Amino acid sequence: MADYTVAELMAVCLAREIKDGDRVLQGLYSPLPMMACLLAKNFHAPNMVYFNTSDVIDPEPTEVPFSSAGPALQERAVAYIPLWQTFDLAQRGELDLIFLGAAQVDKYGNTNLSVIGPYEKPKVRLPGGAASAHLCAIMDTVIWVPRHNARVLVEKVDFITGQGYLTGGKAREEAGIPKGGPRKVVTNLCIMDFEPETKAMRLVSLHPGVTLEEVKENTGFELIIPDKMETTEPPSKEELEFMRQIDPKGVRELEFH
Amino acid sequence: MEEKLYSLQDAVSRFINDGDVVAVGGVGRNRSPMALVREIVRQGKKDLHIVGREKGMDFDMLIGAGCVRKVSFALVSLEEFGLAMNFRRKAQAGEIELDEHACNSVITSLRAAAMGLPFLPLKGMFGSDVFRVNKSLTEIRCPFTGEELAAVKAIKPDVTIIHAHQADKHGNIRIQGSPFEDILKAWAAERTIVTVEEIIDNEEVRANTHLTTIPYIYVTAVVHQPKGAWPASCDHYYDSDMEEVKAYAQAIKTPEGFQEYLEQRVLNRRD
Repeated sequence: MADYTVAELMAVCLAREIKDGDRVLQGLYSPLPMMACLLAKNFHAPNMVYFNTSDVIDPEPTEVPFSSAGPALQERAVAYIPLWQTFDLAQRGELDLIFLGAAQVDKYGNTNLSVIGPYEKPKVRLPGGAASAHLCAIMDTVIWVPRHNARVLVEKVDFITGQGYLTGGKAREEAGIPKGGPRKVVTNLCIMDFEPETKAMRLVSLHPGVTLEEVKENTGFELIIPDKMETTEPPSKEELEFMRQIDPKGVRELEFH
Repeated sequence: MEEKLYSLQDAVSRFINDGDVVAVGGVGRNRSPMALVREIVRQGKKDLHIVGREKGMDFDMLIGAGCVRKVSFALVSLEEFGLAMNFRRKAQAGEIELDEHACNSVITSLRAAAMGLPFLPLKGMFGSDVFRVNKSLTEIRCPFTGEELAAVKAIKPDVTIIHAHQADKHGNIRIQGSPFEDILKAWAAERTIVTVEEIIDNEEVRANTHLTTIPYIYVTAVVHQPKGAWPASCDHYYDSDMEEVKAYAQAIKTPEGFQEYLEQRVLNRRD
């Protein structure tokens, strides 16, 4: 029996996408990205710059809040920076990564947080995509999915809120958004990336204890399966201790109840 | 300098009209001007066009109470407490007009208004269906470089409503934490109403010039309203009231539940 939760494993997977020196923005209702930024900064990426929706740079919270824009996320920060200024940085190509949640993700990494069904007469009106329609077109993204199933991972999203690789191949360039795009998709079952030519989603590693069959059954399209399958590296003892220390109330588990 | 102190009731009745474009301060459930929102509901304002980036209970309550005709937004959600059900129900029923944006396109529309411009260019947006369906976004070519950009139409608020930390009676405002877009919203609007935790002396303002975040020239009315963001948070003063947000999230699951919440917590109560 593993001594970590899937939320903790996913937080560490997201953290590993942050390189030292990266400038990373964490959005609203983003408990796992919040943990990932704090993990990265405290372990392998001390020089990463952490921007968040509480409008600060590099906070050092003693305890993380439930709202990802809450005042506790300002603690020991070096400065306030309104989000619109952070977006200016992104527009200048000076923001490296944002994490993105979605109700639907398709095989080219397009994300939907707007509607299920037709836009004008939706079956389900979703909350909206927050920053995505702007930032997904100009920078790298990593998508996190707490519930990997065939309703979330679909062949084609009902509505493209956040741009992935659109229809694949060179579609992004043709649409006039050559920069950035989804780099990885981290779910509760596995990690995926995008095959460089077709830009279709490809399995990278299975989380410990997860089978290939399980992933295939829970994916609504044909996933590219690599010849060599990796197993996701579990969190280290130090990473787990750190998460449990700054998050005694279990904010990181919010999306898994 | 003119004195601009008003009661909550007077500020809302004098400066918010039916049909107004209303920019709402705060983000999520942080420094949302909830006392003003509740007063708008009590006074039964109608046909408002509400504008904000990532909004929660404030937008949901105004929409559920029937105050809203149109919503300019990038996200409406109660975060971990779940969906903004009034927003969802009214959107699905086609009872509100949706002007769906990305965060930065809402902000850019306010920046344009603040700068006195009809629009501003923005990178990104292409390839998103948000860009395709939104009539206030279109394509433009840079006359100098030839680059294709998105053009974002200005949204000029008739009135901006904000909750802040301190002000003097003339409307020199101090926001002592995350500014969000509140300063931009005040710059952009025709009128701005600010509720504050504390009223301070003008001498204190003059002795600490660097602490003023919105000068009086942008402010129409100041309301002394301690806990005016409740149940949202107000940095350095109080955190969000999770129990109350949870009660709200529970209540809005049905229209009847929401009606009951309104009667108990809003309509038959004063802030």
